[in-house]
Amino acid sequence: MGSIRNSHASAQTSSGAPALAEKNAPAQAASAAGLSPAGVIWSVFREDRFFLVLSVFIGIFAGLAVVCFRFAIDWSRIYLLGTGAELSPWRLILAPALAGLAIAVLTIHVFPAARGSGVNQTKAALYIYDGYIPFKTAIGKFIASSVAIGAGHSLGPEDPSLQIGATLASAIGRRMKLSRDRMRLLAPVGAAAGLAAAFNAPISAVLFVIEEVIGRWTAGILGSVVLSAVSSVVVMRSFLGSESLFRIPPVELRRPSELVAYCILGIIGGFASVAFSSGIGALRPRCRNMPQWTQYLQPAVAGALIGLIAVLGAPQVMGAGYEYMDEAMHGQFTWQFLAILAALKILATLLSFVSGTPGGMFAPTLFIGAMLGAAVGGAEHALLPHFHYTAGTYALVGMGVLFAGFLRAPMTSVFMVLEVSGNYTIIVPVIVANTFAYVISRALQPVPIFDVLSRQDGLDLPSMEELREEDVLRVEDAMQPSPGPVLECDDSLDRGFLEQEKSSCPFLMVRLPANGWACLEQKQAEAWMREGRGGYALGTLLTDARIPYVHPDQPLDTVLRYVDRWPVVPVVNRANLRKLEGVISQRDVLARYRDFGGE
Amino acid sequence: MATRSYRLDSSRLLRREPVALAVLTLAAILAFLFVTGLSRMFHAQQDALAQRWSSRGLTDLQAGRYADAIPEFRAALLYSRDDFDFRLGLAQALIGLHRNAEAYTYLINLWGRRPENGVVNLELARIAAEQGQTEQALRSYHNAIYANWPAGQESRATETRFELVEYLLKLQARTQAESELISLAASVGDDAAQQTRLGALFQRIPDYEHALAAFRRALAADSHDPAALTGAGTAAYDLGRYSIAERYLQDAVSRNPGDYISNDRLRIARLVLQLDPLRPRIRAAERDRNVMTAFAAAGDRLKACPVAATYAAAGTSKQDLAAQWAKLKPQITPSGLRRDPDLTTTAMDLVFTVERQASEWCGTPTTTDSALLLIAKLHEGN
Repeated sequence: MGSIRNSHASAQTSSGAPALAEKNAPAQAASAAGLSPAGVIWSVFREDRFFLVLSVFIGIFAGLAVVCFRFAIDWSRIYLLGTGAELSPWRLILAPALAGLAIAVLTIHVFPAARGSGVNQTKAALYIYDGYIPFKTAIGKFIASSVAIGAGHSLGPEDPSLQIGATLASAIGRRMKLSRDRMRLLAPVGAAAGLAAAFNAPISAVLFVIEEVIGRWTAGILGSVVLSAVSSVVVMRSFLGSESLFRIPPVELRRPSELVAYCILGIIGGFASVAFSSGIGALRPRCRNMPQWTQYLQPAVAGALIGLIAVLGAPQVMGAGYEYMDEAMHGQFTWQFLAILAALKILATLLSFVSGTPGGMFAPTLFIGAMLGAAVGGAEHALLPHFHYTAGTYALVGMGVLFAGFLRAPMTSVFMVLEVSGNYTIIVPVIVANTFAYVISRALQPVPIFDVLSRQDGLDLPSMEELREEDVLRVEDAMQPSPGPVLECDDSLDRGFLEQEKSSCPFLMVRLPANGWACLEQKQAEAWMREGRGGYALGTLLTDARIPYVHPDQPLDTVLRYVDRWPVVPVVNRANLRKLEGVISQRDVLARYRDFGGE
Repeated sequence: MATRSYRLDSSRLLRREPVALAVLTLAAILAFLFVTGLSRMFHAQQDALAQRWSSRGLTDLQAGRYADAIPEFRAALLYSRDDFDFRLGLAQALIGLHRNAEAYTYLINLWGRRPENGVVNLELARIAAEQGQTEQALRSYHNAIYANWPAGQESRATETRFELVEYLLKLQARTQAESELISLAASVGDDAAQQTRLGALFQRIPDYEHALAAFRRALAADSHDPAALTGAGTAAYDLGRYSIAERYLQDAVSRNPGDYISNDRLRIARLVLQLDPLRPRIRAAERDRNVMTAFAAAGDRLKACPVAATYAAAGTSKQDLAAQWAKLKPQITPSGLRRDPDLTTTAMDLVFTVERQASEWCGTPTTTDSALLLIAKLHEGN
């Protein structure tokens, strides 16, 4: 991956000569290929520029696809459930059941890849399939998800939108015959565009893709992802308007003491997230392991049960449910009913998702969060009337809480609420509540839901949370104190030889001018002594033997690049490059890694 | 190998870039056109559905079928989420079903969007009034009065002020109600019905002078309006202007013979005019005759009135009054009254005392006694 290579090169800049050598690799390769260095720079520049332009096009196509997807969902709802707000009980049960049956046939026989998480499939494209996602997947997702959501299955349009965007990007990349590195990055770029258009929230989409799919920040990736997300949102807004998914009521935090109420919301949200993800983790494999013929019936049964929930008095759990989140935010429900809706939505989403019905979990997560948030706020207000309560504020914080606890995207959860609400006064409650939910969820459910799903699908995709949280070994963990005195460049070889004999150390570190370092090895010193160069200054003898240095806080694997070429590498202070903190050798590094594995 | 592929990719890219961009641009334009067509179809359908459901909702709302109107407005909102009128219709339907808490949340959000909207303020005022939030209700009523009303509904500001007056009268806040009515009087104009309504409210304050003026303005616009005639007659009656009252009540009764209250008042007014011996420019013979009639009626009233023990113990007793009456009786003759000019005053003072005491002791008097009481009231200051 070009960008990864670039990032490594820039990380080594402070590490001396080898970095330069690696930096020159493309130029050397190009020179060998017959291109002038200027031509190489121009071609790299053109490829980068072309990739950025391509990101804009991907955004436009993803935006258009998401607009069509939204139309398809609405049309499905109109033709399957009817145009009214109150539907006949039979229709409520039959529409999702029959749609489930049709979806089962489609996903088993025509679009098998349409099942499963779009996030994981995008990650698989990035890490396994060199950016390749079959176009058929997008068609399958589009048809099956729009029918499922329109018929009332408790799923959301965001994850399919994300996958549709990624698939479109992959298809465009293949047509353009991009390099493998670029091809790999195109899927996340398209995913960001799809998600941004579905959420009408470009910042959250960019953050989510960076946080959950790509897992790292570099200027090259960020530029493309931002461009595609923004262009898709612009396209989407030109067709569907710029209103956010919900009408946001005024939100406020009157007294700092109210944060206690949000802490409680975070704790309850954390447990709800664990219940939700545990349910999916436990039920999904069981449903998949049931006999093949049941796979045809599972979405239909799930649909019928969801319809039954609607008939029994909670039609709000059907579909994505944005209009009901809006109502919850504006205090249209009692807190008791909100709590019931949160519980029923968890149940309905479990039924839909584990039955293999294509669709996403973003909208249900937001729904559960909104209902739970407003319910907890309402209950707290009922118990402690002096607590200021506005349903909208608690519902918004609740959304963030479930996003952090269930989807385990803590950064995105905060920015999503900020972007949707457009109000920064809510940031403190959101951060506080999200932190509680995230910590509880992580403690009780160590594997995030996306990783659970990918492992159930037999894929070992890198876990972004594990990457974020893993312990990193640093140079200071393996470095050793300098075995002997540090010699200066003015010192004579005689002195160096003497010190070496005194300390019986095979090498000594030598300070060179302009913050350089060299290593006086015993064999070399003996050879020079035999040649009669004992009176020579070490600086003269070691002018061309400069070695790279590292700093104590750098990752330990940085040292691996040097220790095969030099017996030891000096570890120097960042504030004073002439101060030696210690030395590190290949043996030290390997010993530390061995111990770390044992830990 | 890697070097070769690098060279190949670069050259291929260089060669393909302009073509690729042109193809992408063309594809984007075509896709845009396709989605634009789809979008028009989609939005046309959404608009049509919104319109269909909202018009059904409006019909049901106007017909008072609130339970039917609610899902219809909700359906309309599915297709036009932010439509102000649909939300307002839904809120009004909820109010119709007394689901005020739900309606309030809709209204308060609508108020946030259009704080100057008259209908929203009025509905908020009604809800606050029903929930006993007087301050909020008064604020919302005033907001509604000075709000923007849709074209053709300007008169609703006046209606709202009428409603506010009713609310204030219910709260017994008569002074505030009166000031609102005085403001209304200026804005109502010559509309007979409105002036009649205004007069009736002035009567409830009670402010008979303004009431009579309002009824007169109503009659100036429509001299045959029975409500205005009755109102004017009653207001004049209450003001003690019995000749005016007689005129209006006469007209009112002739137009509505079933109006027994006006009929009674008319009779009493006539009796007052007829029996008052102290009225100016009365001939001596008639005055004496009226004094004798009044004196006799007071005696009869005293005899017919059983006195409760509680009243008997306090102040003037029936026996005292009976004794005074009996003592004066022989003098109340035409010749006696002619001989002693002060006797008229003495006799009428006793008559008034007897009538007042009797009405206190024995309740509602007969027609003649009522007239005598009113005559007493007329001459109270003298």
